[in-house]
Amino acid sequence: MFTELNSILNTTPDSFTQGEFVLLSDRRSDASFLIHHFLSLYLRARCKVLFLGLVQSFNHYSAISQRLGVSLTQAKEKGQLVFLEGLNESLSVLIPRETDTGSEAMGFLRDPAVGLKSLYEFVRSGATSSGVGEQEEWGPPVLLVDDLSVLRSLGASVDAVLDFSHYCRATVCSQLQGNVVMLARCDGEEEEDDGDDEGSERLLRGLTHQCSLTLHVQGLPTGYCRDIHGQVEVCWRRRRGDGRCTHKKLFQYKVHDKGASFFAPGTSSAVL
Amino acid sequence: MLTELLQGTEAGGFLIIQDSASYSGRHLLKSFINAALNREEAVHVLGFEVSEEELTEGLIGSPVQRLHFHNAYSDPLGWTDQPGFTVHQFCLEELTRLVKQTSHPKPATLVIDSLSWILRHVGAPAVCKTLQQLRKGGAVRAIMGLLHVDMHQRGTVGNVCHLATSVITVAPGTKGDEAVAKITKRSKSGKVVQDEEFFSIKTDLTVVIQSMSSQLGHKQADPEESETDPTANLTFNLRLSNTEREAKQKLALPFVFSKEKKTALLHSSPGSGRILYEPDANDDYDQEDPDDDLDV
Repeated sequence: MFTELNSILNTTPDSFTQGEFVLLSDRRSDASFLIHHFLSLYLRARCKVLFLGLVQSFNHYSAISQRLGVSLTQAKEKGQLVFLEGLNESLSVLIPRETDTGSEAMGFLRDPAVGLKSLYEFVRSGATSSGVGEQEEWGPPVLLVDDLSVLRSLGASVDAVLDFSHYCRATVCSQLQGNVVMLARCDGEEEEDDGDDEGSERLLRGLTHQCSLTLHVQGLPTGYCRDIHGQVEVCWRRRRGDGRCTHKKLFQYKVHDKGASFFAPGTSSAVL
Repeated sequence: MLTELLQGTEAGGFLIIQDSASYSGRHLLKSFINAALNREEAVHVLGFEVSEEELTEGLIGSPVQRLHFHNAYSDPLGWTDQPGFTVHQFCLEELTRLVKQTSHPKPATLVIDSLSWILRHVGAPAVCKTLQQLRKGGAVRAIMGLLHVDMHQRGTVGNVCHLATSVITVAPGTKGDEAVAKITKRSKSGKVVQDEEFFSIKTDLTVVIQSMSSQLGHKQADPEESETDPTANLTFNLRLSNTEREAKQKLALPFVFSKEKKTALLHSSPGSGRILYEPDANDDYDQEDPDDDLDV
């Protein structure tokens, strides 16, 4: 986890707001480094983590988490981490073999029109179950999804993905008082489209309406810079104690080997 | 106008709050719910988008008993075995049954959070039909709905808002917690009134309207009473008498190009030299004056 981001979001492994729906988004950039932050944060906080890793293999996440000081393999063995390896599961749906686990989580690939109900069932059973023979009590459940946009490219409609995120929020955030972190990606420029029915922009807007905290990652508007990799706009949407409804802050960041540093615009160590 | 709308809609009224991803209209919707509860009306909420806890956060006191929350949030599509109110139950019969369940002498106000959720699953024609039937039906006195305009096509938004008697579009304001509301109100006689107001919502859900002039930073509108006369209370005289004022106005400033100066410069006085020019073969002598089109 990134300590500077923790102080920006006012979270620590020991105290964090429960019932939050965090939306990570990026436009022509890569916000997946934030997923690693939240993954290591919630594992350190001893929460039960349900990770839908749809874009990369388990080894990829494991290698990066190792650098952040968290072992995914250990967490998985202890039952703290439930990992859905989307790449493997999709393959087993499309090319069934005898050795398959039979998990229907990616079953929507057979018929995308059906919607993501089976994926939701997987999330619900993962979040509510406490495995047989588990010695340790874990904290509130946390769902991480990397990433939602890939569901669209696999054939699910924007409405189906929004329904899925709604149900995840209803179950994990409201019912179980856990947190949900989802990544959604945009490819093009921000268009003022007149209600483009199937589009990553519409998905992003729909998710923004549902969430309580957004972190939007973009490249620097002035272009490429070796020392500053981009900017993050943090937007708190829920009314907080001091009465402010929407509170926005902009930071610049740099990703390095063992983490990422965040700073106010113009205060990069390369500049000062 | 926002205050008038908060004080109550007439029977058969349909209020729509339009919002977008940049500013949520739910806070304003909660203010309207709070105002209706304080008027001792029964309020039925069809909650699709947020849970009961989140919606009732901030609503305090005994009026909350008159608020009936119908849970369409935990399972609106019937995916689990304990569905609450599903989106497919959005029709006249079901809604009338729902509202009549609670016995209250006055017809209730129905709040829909949000219309966008229903429009994503049920087509716009069916939604409009149900809303119109509800308005004419008499089971509910007034309807309030939240609509996310950036989630639908313009035509759909237009169709639904056409049924409304008042439409409030909220957007973030220039500073801090303030937002701007563009209000369109259609009265029964057909008259349409539009207004734009800046407002902010306090923690007790009351709406505070900011005056327009405080928002226009570049225009300083000084009222007359605050203007002080700078030439008063001085030990020297800065005022002008009438003769002095006339002399001042008559004075020709040195760099102002007036008519007298122009004629003096352009017409040379007699006796000064004249310029004779004889072009030879290499010159390209153009008789036309290139400065002819200047208005000097």
